[in-house]
Amino acid sequence: MKYSSQSVALPYFIAAIGLFVGQIIFGLAMGLQYVVGDFLFPEIPFNVARMVHTNLLIVWLLFGFMGATYFLIPEEAETELYSPKLALLMFWIFLIAGAATILGYLLVPYSTLAEMTGNNILATMGREFLEQPLLTKIGIVIVALAFLFNITMTMLKGRKTVISIVLLMGLWGLAIFFLFSFYNPGNLVKDKFYWWWVVHLWVEGVWELIMAAILAFVLIKVTGVDREVIEKWLYVIITLALVTGLIGTGHHYFWIGTPSYWQWLGSIFSALEPIPFFAMTVFAFNMVNRRRREHPNKAAVLWALGTGVMAFLGAGVWGFLHTLAPVNYYTHGSQITAAHGHMAFYGAYVLVVLTIISYAMPLLRGRAANSERSQVCEMWAFWLMTISMVFITLFLTAAGILQVWLQRVSDTPMPFMAVQDQIALFYWMRLWAGVVFAAGLVTYLASFFVKGDSKPLIHA
Amino acid sequence: MQTHQSSAHALSHSDHGTPLRATVIWAVLIAATIVTWSVGESGTTGPAIVGLLFSIAFGKGALIILDYMALRRAPLMWPLLALGWMTLVCALIGIAYWKGLAA
Amino acid sequence: MNTCVQTLVSPPPSLRAVPSDGPARRLPGDLAIWFFILAELLAFGAFFIAYAFARANNVELFNEQQLALDRNAGAINTILLLTSSYFVVRAVQAAEASQGRRAAMWIAGGIACGAGFIVVKLFEYAAKFEAGVSLSSSTFHMFYLVLTFFHFMHVILGLVILAALWNNARRGRYGPGSMNGIETGAAYWHMVDLVWLILFPLVYVMR
Repeated sequence: MKYSSQSVALPYFIAAIGLFVGQIIFGLAMGLQYVVGDFLFPEIPFNVARMVHTNLLIVWLLFGFMGATYFLIPEEAETELYSPKLALLMFWIFLIAGAATILGYLLVPYSTLAEMTGNNILATMGREFLEQPLLTKIGIVIVALAFLFNITMTMLKGRKTVISIVLLMGLWGLAIFFLFSFYNPGNLVKDKFYWWWVVHLWVEGVWELIMAAILAFVLIKVTGVDREVIEKWLYVIITLALVTGLIGTGHHYFWIGTPSYWQWLGSIFSALEPIPFFAMTVFAFNMVNRRRREHPNKAAVLWALGTGVMAFLGAGVWGFLHTLAPVNYYTHGSQITAAHGHMAFYGAYVLVVLTIISYAMPLLRGRAANSERSQVCEMWAFWLMTISMVFITLFLTAAGILQVWLQRVSDTPMPFMAVQDQIALFYWMRLWAGVVFAAGLVTYLASFFVKGDSKPLIHA
Repeated sequence: MQTHQSSAHALSHSDHGTPLRATVIWAVLIAATIVTWSVGESGTTGPAIVGLLFSIAFGKGALIILDYMALRRAPLMWPLLALGWMTLVCALIGIAYWKGLAA
Repeated sequence: MNTCVQTLVSPPPSLRAVPSDGPARRLPGDLAIWFFILAELLAFGAFFIAYAFARANNVELFNEQQLALDRNAGAINTILLLTSSYFVVRAVQAAEASQGRRAAMWIAGGIACGAGFIVVKLFEYAAKFEAGVSLSSSTFHMFYLVLTFFHFMHVILGLVILAALWNNARRGRYGPGSMNGIETGAAYWHMVDLVWLILFPLVYVMR
């Protein structure tokens, strides 16, 4: 760690990991509810568990992004953070607001929560992933503005690198697109527009910039490759990500009342969305192959390469599988979507956050890299989580194909619930893969507590 | 990548051909364009004409790829990828045209 | 994965074979731009093929509405782009021959032709919009507008790159030992030309 204010990243990373554990617990509960429908009923019904599972994911990824930014920006700008105090204050506000929101979901019925939090003044609740009460949404905006102010001021007084500019563009985009969540028009088509302008433009737009910047930062550090080379790749990746991602929004406009040309535009541009992810894969392997130093933190290199491969598979390949309009006509909203969602979020965003945590955490704890034993433990965690996620994805894909076949393609289509019975076997297998994933997560937590001779911190 | 190429470059003779060669290629490209345009103006049509159009397009593309883009002297993978793209696109356009005739 | 990426990044020795008559094979310009060019070719390729198959399902409509296109404007634009590419090749050759400032003049010529393309295209669009052509007016019009506009944006980006090359060349930054920048920019500009060479016969002529 080169600047003492980078240490504000530590609580953000710890909170991220803690919420990640919560997300997986609710994931397992839901996995069981798929096959044992009344599990935890009526205390935690499926819709609530699902909301908690997805909201925790988004919140912990945001914690991870913010932690990554606080770690990365002082080092890139070569100056202390503008205000470490503001960063810590925002941490507590965000954590408490997040926890209160989750408790609200769990303790009171959603409609009561809506009444209590002013949804009658400005209706923003009820849309998938954006279920947060109005107060939480306002809190998110305040935290985001304070965070962006802090980061922008830091950058203005220091060195401006391509990596930090791309990261900042991504973060400003994230905050600006979130504003669409405050508008909830009555017209269903318009409603979908504004909803996707948050959800899609986040994960298939500005989040990719954040991801590319974090990955580039870690790769510079662990490979010692010239900044110039990495910056060129960054330009290529963000251009491809923005062009394909922005117009690719069209793949959400099929048959919802939009002009039919969206079927062409959405199909073609979103079919190209794997390209920036492929570029990231090539980029990561290319940089590691051309490394000029052997960084003692082998685990961080593994996470970085894993991000490249899994993001391409999950976001790229599994996205492409069902993005063409004629295919999506059959597969829309089936388990194939769930398969894609799981591997894409894990491969792209979970792994990139774990990559920066893996790189930064030893430094924040005063060493260049963790002990050999601790790293081996961390790498086991990587393989357990990654392989089990591959199996979760494969089982859900199999379930999805069968579901689409029985329910939509067949000459004698079966009703939804009857089909769910037919594919229960895949849900059981998915649940067991989820248990292995949880075991991987426990291994990951354990890696932070494994003792051993760690590499001392030497300032090069 | 950069290091090996700048040193190799100083030793090599031109990767970009001579001005005369570039000029002759330009003249061929312009002549080919006039042929394509006059086909369009004459209004003639049919599989033979479309075959001619895309043979011309392929030839022009190959000149651009190999000479103007200077892939003639690049590692073989690169000209093959670019020419492979031309071949695939022209072939699929041909197949689609054929399909349109049958319909 | 690892070996496959290595292949992409530095081809195996068999593909790198040194031609008997000359020096080692070399990719002109930056690897990153070639990756970008391949991505662009893939994007345009997808559009061309989509156009061709959409046409196959609706031959009469495409043939009829294609007749209304301005083939003269299309042909003039082809000639402008080809000439522009030629000028850029001459600029690269001039830089290679240590004539940096002459390279700047050639690039300026390339920019002039590219700007000519933009002007012709704008007149063509103005006439079309006057005639009521829009994204929703027909499948053919949708493809015509999307394909040509997508390409149009590439011409604009290419011109920005050429302007940067011109500026650098004028300051004498290119020469036999420093060809990377000009080769990189030139490769992109030729790509813009290359895709138009298919777009023109496909959208303006084939029926």
